[in-house]
Amino acid sequence: MNKMIEVKNLTKIYGKKDNKFTALNDVSLKIKSNSTVSIIGKSGSGKSTLMHIMSGLDEPTSGSVVIADKNIFEMSERKIDSFRANEMSFVFQSFFIEANATCLQNVMLPLEIARVSITKRKKLALDALRAVELEDKANVKAGTLSGGQKQRLAVARAIVNKPSILFADEPTGNLDSVTGDKIMNLIFSLNKKLGCTVILVTHDNDLAKQTDMRIRLKDGKIESIDEGKK
Amino acid sequence: MFYLDIIKRALRNLLSSKARTILTALAIAVGTFALTLTLGASNGAQDYAQNIVKTNFDPSELFVSKDSGLFKSQDASTPQLYDPSYGSVTTFGGQTRQIKMLDNSDIQKLAQIKGVSWAQPSINVSLQYLTRDDSNKYIGTLTTYNPYQNPTLLAGKIPSQLQDNTLILPEGYLSALGFLNAQSAINQTVKLSVLNQGASNIIPGATKSQVSNFKIIAVYKTPNTAISAATSLNLYASLGSVENLNNFIYQGTSNYQKYLEAVVKVTDGTNATKLNDVENLIKAQGYGVQSVVDTEKTITQIISVIEGIVTVFGIIAIIASVFGVVNTMYISVLQRTREIGLMKALGMHRKDISRLFRIEAGLIGLLGGLIGSILAIIGGTALNPVISSKLGLGDSKLLIFKFSQVGLLIIALIIIGIIAGLLPARKAAHLDPIEALRTE
Ligand SMILES: Nc1ncnc2c1ncn2[C@@H]1O[C@H](COP(=O)(O)OP(=O)(O)O)[C@@H](O)[C@H]1O
Ligand SMILES: [Mg+2]
Repeated sequence: MNKMIEVKNLTKIYGKKDNKFTALNDVSLKIKSNSTVSIIGKSGSGKSTLMHIMSGLDEPTSGSVVIADKNIFEMSERKIDSFRANEMSFVFQSFFIEANATCLQNVMLPLEIARVSITKRKKLALDALRAVELEDKANVKAGTLSGGQKQRLAVARAIVNKPSILFADEPTGNLDSVTGDKIMNLIFSLNKKLGCTVILVTHDNDLAKQTDMRIRLKDGKIESIDEGKK
Repeated sequence: MFYLDIIKRALRNLLSSKARTILTALAIAVGTFALTLTLGASNGAQDYAQNIVKTNFDPSELFVSKDSGLFKSQDASTPQLYDPSYGSVTTFGGQTRQIKMLDNSDIQKLAQIKGVSWAQPSINVSLQYLTRDDSNKYIGTLTTYNPYQNPTLLAGKIPSQLQDNTLILPEGYLSALGFLNAQSAINQTVKLSVLNQGASNIIPGATKSQVSNFKIIAVYKTPNTAISAATSLNLYASLGSVENLNNFIYQGTSNYQKYLEAVVKVTDGTNATKLNDVENLIKAQGYGVQSVVDTEKTITQIISVIEGIVTVFGIIAIIASVFGVVNTMYISVLQRTREIGLMKALGMHRKDISRLFRIEAGLIGLLGGLIGSILAIIGGTALNPVISSKLGLGDSKLLIFKFSQVGLLIIALIIIGIIAGLLPARKAAHLDPIEALRTE
């Protein structure tokens, strides 16, 4: 299925009256399915805001996000939830893993939410853990892992439901460069293997060079879009 | 999310903060403990009351009075008008009243009512004293023996037709009368003295008493289901003997052969409708009637009131602990904003998030209920023999736990927990995932 993402005239204004702040200003763009895209810009330029709105976690002040020919903001809340559970996944800068749960339990969470049958869950979760080389940690409490392992666990959780779109918000921001590179290589290889669109938020230009498309934001506006790896 | 997965997740969350979970549950446990014991005690009391009534009164008998108001509570705040047709003024149940008395014609009338097997006056004779030649004089009460009572005998035998001037002696009089044991009292004679009230009324200072010999034919064991300590010292004799002494006491007074109450035995009276039919026939003749069931109702009513009061306190304790649950759940929501944000980002429905927190609160209710009731049942069961012997209840237990009751109580606590979780769950469900995920 063609999971092209089309962002049309997206504007996000925080606050009211005197406190108004325009975080996104008339942003329009198109993302081809199965491609890798980076959103770059200085801190506060609106990268995360754009990503949250594209994934339906946040609502725009105006404009629309069309995924696979459907405006996600015209769907019911339930539909968006299910859409996110089945078609999207996330990797965050600060991991957001459940420290008290085992690695296996962490990875199974998206499957539970998507109501995948109990019998299939364990197998799928173990496959995902294998893909990030954390198989041997399946029954270990996630809180005991190192930073790099935690992010690999988050990646396993992000791929377990075979998403069409993977959002990664500065996934290497809390890691040293060697570990960060490993995580990015992992994500890029998953893009090839699973064929999912990867939308990467980063302020690392070298990293952005490895993606198919770069969207540069400045003060909530698109400064430039360029395509092709460099 | 499947319901089962939500429950598993709720359990995992509670387990990962054990101390907080247990402390919150303990608050509920205190109220539950009190309520479980209250329920147990009221079960025990009901049971004991029923037991007392059952062993002391024949359910196929009715108590009948001339005064239809005798068994009802009377307005004691205003004085009663004097009526010469009534008997003398008496103090009954703490009230000074003129009470209509039954006479022998009433007894005969009652005996002829359809469905009545027999009717006899209910007489308690207050003895002037009873004694043996070489012992002290003791006061006592003589009443008619009713085979229904079927007391446990320490010695002797009770014939089906009790002879006049034979006596069934309570264990409590044995040593007082100088008997070494129950067996040695059998066939011995005791003297029962009664004092005429007529003579002393007419000629002040003059006393007229009568002493009669009674042969002890049996000695009965003090029952642990006696109505009071006093009735466990009742002496029993035949109706004829009791009437003789009673007639002597009241000879020359307005109460001669007048009775406050009569006992009416109903044929097949254990059948509720037959008993009720006779009860109505007697009522129709203007008499007051009370059945054993009525007596039992009066006793259990009193128990219910006490039970109600204690229950209210238990419920107040539980309501207080509900605020603990609300507080704990609120803190839990605040501490877990990241988890909630993550679950929302991964597509968990608002409804399921709310359900997760409600289930956690319900589980705290369940845990508190289990801790409280199990402790109460263990403690109560261990203490039962001690309490019974302290209160002289014999084989009866003060605390009787019914699993259906405790089960209902625990279900109620789960529901209360869920209600306590409603607001925190709502807060969790409405949390903005972006805000939650931004917390860094
Ligand atoms: N809830 C909010 N209320 C007000 N301003 C906000 C809110 N969320 C984000 N902003 C502002 O919007 C701008 C863009 O934020 P963000 O998208 O997080 O930037 P980036 O991810 O590029 O660092 C920032 O200046 C930030 O302060
Ligand atoms: Mg950001």
